[in-house]
Amino acid sequence: MTRSGYRRTAGLLLATALGLTASACGSGEKPAQDNARPTAEGSAAGPVSITVNCMPPKTNKAQRATFQEDLDAFQKLNPNIKVEKATDAFPCYEPRTFEAKLAGGQLETVFYVNFPNVGRLMESGQAADITPYVGELKTFKDYNASIEIFKKDGKIYGLPTDGYGMGLVYNREVFTKAGLDPNNPPRTWADVQAAAKKIAALGPGYVGFGEYSGNNVGGWHFTASLYGRGGDVISPDGEKAAFNTPEGKAVLENLKQMRWTDNSMGSKLYIDWPALMKAMAGGKMGMMIGAPDVLIGLRNDFQAKFENYTVTSLPEAKALFNGGAGYMINPKATPEQIRAGLKWIEYEFLTPGKGQLDYVRAKGANLTVGQPYPDLYGADTPSGQEVLKLRTENANVDPGQFALWVEGSKGIPAKAEPGPYAQEIYAILDTPMSAVLTRQDADIDKLLADAEAKVNTLLEQKG
Amino acid sequence: MPNLTAVSKEPRRSAPPAAPPVPPKRPRRKIQQEFRTVVSPHQLNSRRGRAVYWTVLAVVVVSFTAAFVFPLYWMVTGAMKSTEELVQIPPTFLPPEFSLDAYAEAWELMDLGLLLGNTALYAGGAWLFTLAIDVTAAYALSKLRPVLGKLVLALMLATLMIPPMVIMLPAYLTVKELPLLGWDLLNTPWAIWLPAAANGFNIFLLKRFFDSIPRELLEAAEIDGAAPARILWSIVIPISRPILGVVSILTVVNVWRDFVWPLLVLTDSEKMSVSIGIASLSSQMPQNVLIASLVIASIPTIAVFFLFQRHIMAGLTAGSLKG
Amino acid sequence: MTTTGMRAARGSRGRPPTKRRRAVRRNVTAYGFLCGALICFAFFSWYPMVWEVVLSFQRTNFVDPPVWVGLENFVTVLQDAAFGPAWKNTVMFTVLALVFGYGVPFVVALVLNELRHARAYLRFVVYLPVMLPPAVGVLLFQWFYEPEYGLFNQVLGFFGLPGLDWLNSTDTALVSLVIVSTWMNLGTGTLIYLAALQTIPGELYEAAELDGAGLFKRIWHVTIPQTKLILLVMLLLQIVATMQVFIEPFLLTGGGPENSTVSVVYLMYQYAFNFGNINGGNALGVMLMIVLMVFSAIYLRVSREDKS
Repeated sequence: MTRSGYRRTAGLLLATALGLTASACGSGEKPAQDNARPTAEGSAAGPVSITVNCMPPKTNKAQRATFQEDLDAFQKLNPNIKVEKATDAFPCYEPRTFEAKLAGGQLETVFYVNFPNVGRLMESGQAADITPYVGELKTFKDYNASIEIFKKDGKIYGLPTDGYGMGLVYNREVFTKAGLDPNNPPRTWADVQAAAKKIAALGPGYVGFGEYSGNNVGGWHFTASLYGRGGDVISPDGEKAAFNTPEGKAVLENLKQMRWTDNSMGSKLYIDWPALMKAMAGGKMGMMIGAPDVLIGLRNDFQAKFENYTVTSLPEAKALFNGGAGYMINPKATPEQIRAGLKWIEYEFLTPGKGQLDYVRAKGANLTVGQPYPDLYGADTPSGQEVLKLRTENANVDPGQFALWVEGSKGIPAKAEPGPYAQEIYAILDTPMSAVLTRQDADIDKLLADAEAKVNTLLEQKG
Repeated sequence: MPNLTAVSKEPRRSAPPAAPPVPPKRPRRKIQQEFRTVVSPHQLNSRRGRAVYWTVLAVVVVSFTAAFVFPLYWMVTGAMKSTEELVQIPPTFLPPEFSLDAYAEAWELMDLGLLLGNTALYAGGAWLFTLAIDVTAAYALSKLRPVLGKLVLALMLATLMIPPMVIMLPAYLTVKELPLLGWDLLNTPWAIWLPAAANGFNIFLLKRFFDSIPRELLEAAEIDGAAPARILWSIVIPISRPILGVVSILTVVNVWRDFVWPLLVLTDSEKMSVSIGIASLSSQMPQNVLIASLVIASIPTIAVFFLFQRHIMAGLTAGSLKG
Repeated sequence: MTTTGMRAARGSRGRPPTKRRRAVRRNVTAYGFLCGALICFAFFSWYPMVWEVVLSFQRTNFVDPPVWVGLENFVTVLQDAAFGPAWKNTVMFTVLALVFGYGVPFVVALVLNELRHARAYLRFVVYLPVMLPPAVGVLLFQWFYEPEYGLFNQVLGFFGLPGLDWLNSTDTALVSLVIVSTWMNLGTGTLIYLAALQTIPGELYEAAELDGAGLFKRIWHVTIPQTKLILLVMLLLQIVATMQVFIEPFLLTGGGPENSTVSVVYLMYQYAFNFGNINGGNALGVMLMIVLMVFSAIYLRVSREDKS
């Protein structure tokens, strides 16, 4: 074969091979351009691009529409800020993908975080320090104590946009069926137990009291009950477990009696947040521990009959576990992006009369107005008073559904998550919770002692 | 691509839905096997043998129907019941009325049209890439035998020993930013297509099949001056249809069934595959809508199974008999 | 394979003038053909594999540069309260899945092989669950396992039996997961065994019968030896597959109750995504990788023997 023949053949071969595989070898270029890059662009002079998350899901049409409206209005108001993308994954904080998204730079510039994860993100340096910028926010000075959750070593890493103390959510219809007075809900744990027993007696499928037992929400609700009884999960210095106490025992003892002596908790475990919410929305469950937001969640995300539900204060509460959520900024964001991101948070969540606090619009959009949260501002600050005024004027829900909670929670101190390793601790506390709900012979003292030892090991190792 | 059409033509030609999957190629051997299995024909045809046979047959048919068909029946009809009816004790065996409302609602609420479309795009693309990439590679390893070919093959087969679960996270990081190139494939079909092609098992199946093609056949063409690409195209691929069918179906079905990988790389709700979409929305859905969405999500794979039963079963056997 | 290779070598030696050029050309072509696969494997298999090991010796938050920490991640996971249960459950799951998912399909295949009627139907239905996306199968069983109104307890109640707690008790949760997994995968094993059974020459049975071997003796002395290799291969394949159990505890139990269904991969996931400790997850991954590689190596060995 001649040289040119060889060359021709080789060329042909290569061309053919490429024809078959070129699509694989060399065409990844296009997709790279489609992807939003929250970290790269945005210089001081030009427009700033940011991405945000927690757009309400498609199943929640009304809120999704108002959110979209706000996105448009916000960009009109700030022509140099472009919101490139709004993610609508549900739930907003998705542990499955959070870490991966952060690692991959896919995390939005402004991202949602619920309180249990705040400490961890601050500890591991996965949220931007926003201390130098908060002065630019008009309502920042009016924040109530909830801002403390986002502070570490004097620096601020995020802004709460939603906050509430725990309470007891119950179904009025179920109460009435069971011969209980829906206007006079349980005030002590003994009352809860008695009411649960009556509800369970309504027949198969009825559950008096529902409680979590897995996926870290079991430990989370254990903490809520424990705080209510005046106990604590870890010692004030954060170095030792502090729940192996009479209060801790009382929490488990109470659950054990309801589950096994009274048989009023059903035999199904609720292993994650949606599971219990769905059961509560199903209309055969009497009570659960929850904050006022549970009512709205039941209505908007779980299609429950809203008017049937009421929230009252946590029985015998000495302290209230502070539930809620807020927003943090991607640690890789540029200063301009941080500024733009904070502007968005301010616009959407922290401006009375705008965004989530636009109660006039919410009323017209078939959304609830009148629930006593988000509770972000001190009661006597201008923002606090303005929000209260707007909320009362436009209320479209029966304030009675929340009144008992507001009344009963007054003056009870709020208490935050147990440190930066809250999730690990909750995972450990899932075990005693699921044990008392699945084993009649569960040994509470031993369960608590075991969990205590495990938490101590964990803290020692992290320490 | 002619090879692809060739593959898809074959099953279509011989695709009577749920037809008995008797390989038509070797009917004689088949009958012979049927003639003699572990139970002797004399025993079987005795009076007692026949009684036992019919009893066993009845038991097997009934229990298989109960174990494998009834759950699916329960699923299809469950989606036609109201949520109240679903929690009724005792349950109703038949829905009170034939209603597809929950299906319609599932279709709309979960945007199943989009999710199914996405999944079809991922499966289809993965199929094209897998065939293009793995067929050429296996052919090179089998017939061209380049320097270090054995090492390459060994490295490819070694990936079979590493469970995909274990390297999930670094693989994710790679897809986010391809080393050297810096391309970001997240939330693009490439994140499904290209990793699907890196399949040691396909390479193995194809290479083994190519190994069995008689050398003489190719040498004749070579002497006629045909280039390797031409030989691959017009000789190897046409006679490899059975194995191409097997690889095609394995690829499509794997992409359709995959869960953890798309969960990580397709985070946009508009890019999700149907399994992920349903799992991530399952928590909020009323029970009957959720069940309806499960039914809808299983229809495509079941349809594939109906149409390509013979190939799928051939794939199974190919995959395991010789390892 | 070796014989054809030798023949090819001899063939090219027979034409010395163009030998070298031909070899170069062949190699260029071959690597042209291999380029796509090499790139895909390098990016999506080989490189992540190496990186997995590297990450297990580092600490990183993906914001700051990673720090080498030696064996710290391994120590962390070893001290974890769920580490022991996770391995124990994984092994238990594997063993139980073998009991249900290994023996049963073989028996089913033996019976199916004897049947002369409804074969197509039976083969079709036994494989039907395999075709469902696993997420669908698992969510379906979640509904069946409902303690109050779920299908299973309703059926038990119909026969006058008390309902079980299924996923809601430490005694039954793991078994419930095994049942889902077996239901979804039974078809694969059955069809593979069935194919293997059909390759056994009938004469062997006839000969055994002439020797006076009864039914069970024929199974023991003919069927099992004839399918020994496939049985062994399936055993190893199944061990490797079931030790990676994840989607069942992930969607059904969240590892509970009382850690009774935490698997190694599930714990990996907990570390990486709930505790924000990806490196701990990588350390677990490396441990699992080593264990599985032992089984995989045996598998490759066995299948190579099979080929020869």
